[in-house]
Amino acid sequence: MASSWCWSCLSRLRAPSTPRAILPPQSITPRLTTASFHSSAVQYANPTKKKGALVAVKYRQGQTLRRKKKKTTERSRPPAVGERKALRKRIVLSNPNALEVEGMQDLSAETMIDARLRGSVLGLPVPMLDQLRAVQAFKPKQGWSIFRRPGTVLRRDTLEMARLFEKISGEGDAAEKGKVVKKIITGLKGSGKTVHLLQAMAMGFLKKWVVVTVPDARELVSGDTSYSPIEGTNPLQYVQPNAVSALLMRTVEANRQVLSSLNVSQKHTGLPSLKPSSTLEDLAKLGFQDAAIAWPVFQALWTELTATAAAPGMEKDFKARPPMLVTVDGIAHWMKESAYRASDFTPVHAHDLVFVKHFLSLLQNGQASLKNGGMVLYATSTSNNPSIYTLEVALDQLAARQAGTSPSSPDYPSPEAYSGADARVLDLFKPTTGKEPQFELQTLGGLTRDETRGYLEYFARSGLLREEVNETWVGEKWSLSGGGIIGELEKLGRHVRTTAQTTPVLN
Amino acid sequence: MVFILGVNFPERNLLKKSLETFFGVGGHTSSRLLARFNIHPTCRVGELANKQVLDLTAVLSDMKIENDLRREVLNDIKRLKETGTYRGRRHALGLPVRGQRTRTQVGCFSFAVSYILRLDILDTMLGVFGCFVDMVLMVS
Repeated sequence: MASSWCWSCLSRLRAPSTPRAILPPQSITPRLTTASFHSSAVQYANPTKKKGALVAVKYRQGQTLRRKKKKTTERSRPPAVGERKALRKRIVLSNPNALEVEGMQDLSAETMIDARLRGSVLGLPVPMLDQLRAVQAFKPKQGWSIFRRPGTVLRRDTLEMARLFEKISGEGDAAEKGKVVKKIITGLKGSGKTVHLLQAMAMGFLKKWVVVTVPDARELVSGDTSYSPIEGTNPLQYVQPNAVSALLMRTVEANRQVLSSLNVSQKHTGLPSLKPSSTLEDLAKLGFQDAAIAWPVFQALWTELTATAAAPGMEKDFKARPPMLVTVDGIAHWMKESAYRASDFTPVHAHDLVFVKHFLSLLQNGQASLKNGGMVLYATSTSNNPSIYTLEVALDQLAARQAGTSPSSPDYPSPEAYSGADARVLDLFKPTTGKEPQFELQTLGGLTRDETRGYLEYFARSGLLREEVNETWVGEKWSLSGGGIIGELEKLGRHVRTTAQTTPVLN
Repeated sequence: MVFILGVNFPERNLLKKSLETFFGVGGHTSSRLLARFNIHPTCRVGELANKQVLDLTAVLSDMKIENDLRREVLNDIKRLKETGTYRGRRHALGLPVRGQRTRTQVGCFSFAVSYILRLDILDTMLGVFGCFVDMVLMVS
């Protein structure tokens, strides 16, 4: 045991373990106690720290304040396959918080041609919504979800289109029955091109036409569906079985009532599993049950729908075929090389995809192809639009022809030299020959002031807009929206809130 | 799971990415392979038809990829070493081969060295395996 005496100063070290009993008490014997450092007097010594206050500093530990790092949060499982896409593509057509607009009329065969209703919003019939959903007429970023129920404005272009539907269906003027109207719809961003197509589809369903749509032209050329070459074609063409199958599925779902009432009237040698007595619905179903035969089935369906008479020996149960509506949205994607590659790695032009070619050929031979009449509406898009110089030139040429400029005149637009213009695209837009009617360019502009007023009143009546809709205010919004561009009006309508109420100041 | 050149791939994997897992198949080769058999670029492994799988495997097995290619790289380095070229010497010393500075930051080269070491180990293993196969053949 160590001695309890300090060897340098011979003072007694504090040793609590020393037996106290043999020592005199401290209070009696003045005893020299040791400080921690011997050279200073006891009274000047630093007060000894309490034991608890001692904080052990570890070796090489910093003295600065350190904050604890945030714990990494545990990652949950990623959403199931397809869930995110489903959320992205979700379409909400109703907002239960919005007010129901009293006295709102539905789109019907009568109201769609009623010029008195111009500028008012007509609701889409509720039973038709499933059909419109099936043909993917609604797009996710349109403002359907802010109103109680979906509706569209009856604008000038809509009324004109409705009259065309009337004429082609042959109810009004018999002379126009069975005609084919072909239009390319362009316009500024937000001018309502896609909704114009939607209105066409709705009218097609009302008139019991067969509606065939390509809701997004890009999907066919973006390299996202399978493709395979068709042997013996020159230049080599490609078929997209899954895309065709999807189109058949859409067509059947939307036009079930019409297709199930029509029977097969032609002989289809390529489809041995088809029974002679089956309906067109059964025929189309073959295609989406087996994607490998989707293209022959589509061709067979097209032949059936455009037939004017039954094949010999199959006249029984033949019914006249209805007119057809064909719509494509975002046509610019079809005017360039696709993302597909030929086997030698050269890009495949969109016009070499047989499905795309089928729809594009309707511009040149629509009347010959759609023998029972109909409408071909191809819209450009501005929200998802590749910049294609040749298409711009081709549309300028079309506009010039419509304005009466002769193709031989020096004012007629032509592609610049060395611009590498696509001859196939220019060829597609050349004037049609023979009995084939010319296709038109329809440019959608803004609403008129009256239509704007009707549209904004609809916002007010839905409870979204709490302002007095008067002439001055409408005029202001009409100007702000670039002359009644409906997409801009919608933004204004949904963002404008009630102005602050001035409270009376009491003195 | 789909079996392509002796490797099992999950069905939901992208085919292009799956092909690129083979040593010696990059973006350039894989996109050409897809084009050759008319497979779209976003195809999943599960969407392939049986014939396409067989075609792909047949083409891949004809190509110099995986261990054949690794061995070729090693042989090239070995040749450089044996002929006593500057590049060979640099390889042998484990130093940068292509004229990079070595005054500072030679540590970056360690990765390449370790890669070649790995190839060396692999080569030894392949050699041992080859000898083993030879022995078995001789015995039988």
